[in-house]
Formats: sequence, structure tokens, C-alpha cells
Amino acid sequence: MGRFWAIFFVATAVIAVAVSWFSPALHWWFPGDGKAHSNLGLRIDDLFHLILVIVSITFIGTHAALGYVLWRGATIKPEDKVLFSHGSHSLEVIWTIVPAGILLFIALYQMDVWAKYRVKSFSPAETEAVAEVTARQFEWRIRYPARGKKLQPTPQPDDVYTVNELHVPTGRPVSISLRTEDVQHSFFVPELRVKQDAVPGLVIPVWFDVIDRRTGKNAMELVCAELCGWGHYKMKARVFAESDEEFEQWREKIAGEQFDDGFKKAAE
Amino acid sequence: MQRSCCYLAVGLTVLVAGCGKGPQAEFSLREETTDLIPEAQKVVKTTLKEKFGSPHELIAWQRFPVNYGGVKGSVTEVAAEGKSVVVEWDGDATQVAKDAPLIWVSGARTGEKTSVGSVATYDAAKKELTWTGGSDPAPVAGDKLVIGFGKSLQTGRAVYMKNCMHCHGVSGDGNGPTAQYLNPLPRDYRSGVFKFTSTLGPEKPTRDDLNRVIKYGIPGTYMPSFLWLGDKETESVIEYIRWLAIRGEFESRVDNDLAGDFSQKTIEAAAAKAKANYDAAKGKEKPEKPQSAAAAKSAAKDKFAEYLKSDVPELIDGSAKFIAEAWAHSEEAESLIVPSVARVTDDAASRERGRRLYLSDKGKCYTCHGIQGRGDGAATEDFWKKPGSEEYYTKRGLHDTWGKPLQPRNLTLGQYRGGRRPVDIFRRIYAGIKGTPMPGFGRTALKDEEIWDVVNFVMSLQYESTPTKAKAAEHVVHSK
Repeated sequence: MGRFWAIFFVATAVIAVAVSWFSPALHWWFPGDGKAHSNLGLRIDDLFHLILVIVSITFIGTHAALGYVLWRGATIKPEDKVLFSHGSHSLEVIWTIVPAGILLFIALYQMDVWAKYRVKSFSPAETEAVAEVTARQFEWRIRYPARGKKLQPTPQPDDVYTVNELHVPTGRPVSISLRTEDVQHSFFVPELRVKQDAVPGLVIPVWFDVIDRRTGKNAMELVCAELCGWGHYKMKARVFAESDEEFEQWREKIAGEQFDDGFKKAAE
Repeated sequence: MQRSCCYLAVGLTVLVAGCGKGPQAEFSLREETTDLIPEAQKVVKTTLKEKFGSPHELIAWQRFPVNYGGVKGSVTEVAAEGKSVVVEWDGDATQVAKDAPLIWVSGARTGEKTSVGSVATYDAAKKELTWTGGSDPAPVAGDKLVIGFGKSLQTGRAVYMKNCMHCHGVSGDGNGPTAQYLNPLPRDYRSGVFKFTSTLGPEKPTRDDLNRVIKYGIPGTYMPSFLWLGDKETESVIEYIRWLAIRGEFESRVDNDLAGDFSQKTIEAAAAKAKANYDAAKGKEKPEKPQSAAAAKSAAKDKFAEYLKSDVPELIDGSAKFIAEAWAHSEEAESLIVPSVARVTDDAASRERGRRLYLSDKGKCYTCHGIQGRGDGAATEDFWKKPGSEEYYTKRGLHDTWGKPLQPRNLTLGQYRGGRRPVDIFRRIYAGIKGTPMPGFGRTALKDEEIWDVVNFVMSLQYESTPTKAKAAEHVVHSK
């Protein structure tokens, strides 16, 4: 029976590693095409992969050791003498210092990515505030400044509005002002690796730079990542990343619809 | 080992049993229906069941202008002695396949002469089709048929049950499980009244109106945007909502007609009143002893048996006809409100004219929306009578036709429930908001140019500078 369990637990670990190994090929991986679509997202992915390598080595190493111990215990002969141990001081020092060193390395290594995302002086100096995104139960309401104007903290008569549809220019850093009308929400665009809580009473700038064009069916998903009530699952929107020209054209079109006085239709 | 297997088996059994189906959804009846005498109630119930079915077994009554779905076809050639036909399809023919339900909508095979059949074989290359259910009478070229009839309604139901039902309720009565937590309450479709429409005062909403509400939501309420639903899903759910509204209005119209003579409450109240009169007059003369409530109900039962033969078929037919016409008419061009003049230039002069109209006796907007547009007019402090009765509402302020308290819109918030396009606000002022005390001003009190002035004024209210602190403080002292 002991051998069965030894094989069982080792096999479990082997299957876990095998499944993880093949999962990117099976699309059991990051959302979308599996790649990050912002420069910062690529760096976040690099961090993820680094940690994945460290964790994988640790996982395989510890499971190999555990498997060995199980197997030895199962195959021990009744006449063999059992070895009693009261611990090894040097071994304990090693397994404390090595993980501590790894953790310290990760903590320091990731700092500049974090700073770039969250600390103002490390973020790109010129980010254009493209829109104000207001979360509410259970939708995203979005306000854009009129063409050639800057986003103001309060609504302006020529602002352009959309719901559940965020359009941004691609290829340069842009930011949105994130607010919430009611409870806490979280602005999450998985393909950009951007996530930020929306907190009542605060206006939080969130910056990102989309590297490629994402329009039509390729538009990215924007979801709420903070359980905000019974309709949380409904809080889905789409993010369209377009060239400057396309973005302006789209804004003109939406503005035209928004300021429609219904009169032209009669003349047709 | 054995024991763990045993635990596993028990655990799995519990899991599987826990995933069993819940109770089947049912359409609920109106209070007015359950108040009818049992005989009348039964007729309403069976009619509804027969004509509309239940949520799990929908019946598409073809009298109504609802797009029930399916692909229409027209016979171009008859072959094999009337046993097979070549069909020209009007739309997506991919759903034409073996076993798809088939009905004939014109020609000799229409209606009750043949049972609802299904497609037996279909050759997509030749567009040749055979069907089950016999070939007598045989179709001729030009006959029309529909494959997959009712599909859209089914899709609509699935979308509705998943996304809408938990607020708007199974029968569209605005009383789903989450409704109790919401303010304002979800719409009760069953009166066939929808607030935000592009149509004239008495008209129903258009498909496009419902589409806008579903796609963009209603800010300031709990209705969120469903932009991420697919086009097919949105179209189907619009038809389902129209169908639910028609079903509800049909029930309501039949009830209203029957309630005059066959409402239990009315009969009981009349009997009680007659008895009170009798008791009061006892000493003076010798009045006739009035009927007891039970006797009155029994009389109503006899009367209903007669009414059932003489008037009920016509009542059902007439109600269906009226509702069908109303919904069809709302889609016609003449029902749509189209401004006769372009928007008046939004300048200070226009806004000032709008402000004067807002405060004038012609507009009287201020009585509800307040002098500053904050939705705090004098009307919100009054007690109002219930429509068609001498009774007053128990709460101060305005009420909608569903009998719920209603706040006039605070126009300074920049929150436009029916849409923020100038034409949306024009239409609100022109035709009012259905089901609410907001009246229509178009064609009567205000000319189109004047409405545009009011639109310009109302849309500017959001951007007016806020009062300075000193002024605000002064105001507080003053109001004390």
C-alpha cells in the first residue's frame, strides 16, 4: 500500500507539471492571445515568468525530495534500522536563508515596474487624459472631452458620452480618470494587465499604453474585478484601441449622434 | 479504502441532487384577475393559457405584430405531385433543416386545415423541401411558409430569463426577486406603458426606443447598459418584452371589462352599502330587504354564464385587435415625433427665452421641477388625489400610473434618463413622459421653436455656476 501512495503522490505532481507545461498551447493561459498588449504589461509578464521559473524549480525540487522520502519509507525492509534525527542546524539555516534571499531579490527587482505604474515621478511624463470612466452598479459610463480640448474634472457642454465602450488612441501613454458613483468597483483590462480599484470619493488616474490596434471583434474586454453587488457579472465593457485618426473619426461620429436634433431626418 | 469510497458515493449523490431543477417559472395573474368571481377568473386564466402559454411553453398568437422569428419562404415550384416544393427563402436559410417546425401562412394549407408539421427532407442545393403531415391539400406556387416559427421568441425568453427576469419578473410585472431592493422600481410592462419613447402621447414605444434603453441603460436608475449582448439576442429580447407587454395589457383590458359586474370586491362593497342603507332606514318606512353578498355573487354567476356566450368572444377579439393595432401603429412614421424646425441656436438669448417659458403659465415647468430646476417644485409638497377617485395618496408628492411615488427630475444633475440627445429632450417636452404626470406641450401650449428654447435652457442648467459659499449661507438663513 505504501508504494501505491508514493507513486500516487509523485504522479499527481508529475501530472500537475505536465498540464502546466502544455496549458499555454491549449489556451489555458492568459486571456486573449496570451500576450500583454501594453509595454508595462510586457514587463509585468516578464516578472510573472521569472517568478514562475523560481516557483517551478522549487516545486519540482521539493516534490522530488518528498517522493524520495515516501518511496524510501515504503520500501524499507523490516530488519533495517530506522535513523532518528533531532534536526540539522545548518540545513535549517540554508532553507531559511535561500528563500529569504529569493524573496528579497523579487521584492527589489520588481520595484521599478511598480514605481512606473504607480509612482507619479516614475510614470511617463506626457500622458494624455482621454476620458473619465465612472463605474456604477452595473455599468461603465465614460465621458470624453470634445476634439482639441482637455478633459476637465467636471462635465462640459461639448463633452461626448458613451456607455460600456471605451475608445483610446494606441501607441502612446494615455490615462483615464477613474471614479465610482456608488460602491467600490475595480477597473480591470486583463489584456493590458491593468487593474485599479475605483473608490467612492476619489478620482484615480490610471495610465496605460496599448501597443497595437484593437478594434472591432478584437476589442479588449474591460471587466469589474471587485465584487460590487448582485449584478457584478454584468459589468462588462469593451476597450477599443485605435490610431489617432480613427479615434478622432469615431469621436466625431459619436458627437454627431449625441447632438442630433432629429430635424434632418424629416428633410430626407 | 471501502469507507472512503462510501463517503465519496454519498458526497456525489448530494452534489447531483443539489443541482436538480428548481420549480418551473409561471406567469403570475394580476390582482384584478384574482378578484373576479371564480367563473370569470377561470375564463381569463384559460384564455391566457391558450393564447400565450406559459414561460416554458410559449404560444405565439399570430394576431400581434411581434416578430416571432423563423425564416419565411415562398413556393416557386411544386414537384412530386404536391409532395415536394422548391422554395425561395427570404432571409437566413441555414435554419432550414430536417425536423425544423414548419407552418404555412398562405394558400390552401393555412391554419387549421393542416397540423403544424416539420421539415422531412431538405436539399439545400436545389432548395427542395418535403414535409411531414400529408400532402392534402397540395400547396401551389406562391404559397408562403415559415420555418422555425417562434425561434426568436424562445431566444428572447432565454435572454430575458438570464438578464432581465430578476428585476422585471417572469411576467414582466416589475416584481422580480431583486425588485424589492431597488428605487426607482423596475418597470411593470403589463400596462403596455413605457416611459421613454420617441412617439406621440398615446402611442406605444418603437422597437428602436426599447433598443436604446437596453443598449444604453437608464442613468439614475438601476437599469444598466446591455451593450455587450449580441445583436440577435437584443433583437429577440425586444420582441419578447413587447410580447410580455401585449400579454399583460390583454389581461388588463379583459379584467377591466369584467370588473364592472364580476369583481368580488365590488359585489361585496355594494352589498355592504345596501345593507347599511337598509339598517339606517329601518325605523321610518318599510324598505325592501337587500340582497346578501352571497346571493349577489350567485346572481353574478348566472349573469356571467349569459355574458360568456354573448359578449366574451367579442371582448377577447376586440381587446386583441385594439392592442395589435396600437403596437403596429407605433412603428409607423406618423407616430414618431420629428421636430418641424431645427434646434434653435443654443445662445444666451434662446436660453433666456427658455427660462421665461419655464417660469411662465404656458410651461408651468417650475410647479414640479422647481424654480431653480432642482426637482423641488410646490407640487412635490402637495397631497394628490388618486386618478379617477376621491381618495388621496398617503404620501406627499407626485405619483406615476403604477401608483408609486415619483420625483420630478432634478435638471441640474445632467442626468437624462431618456437619453441626452437634444431630440430626446425635445420629445420629452413635446409628448410628455408616459405613465407619469409630465404632460406633453407639443401642438398645444408650446410651438416647436419654443420647445427648443426650453431644451436649450434645461440643458444649460447643469453647467450654471454653483452659488458661492456666502450666497449659499444666506439662502439657508433665509429659508429658516
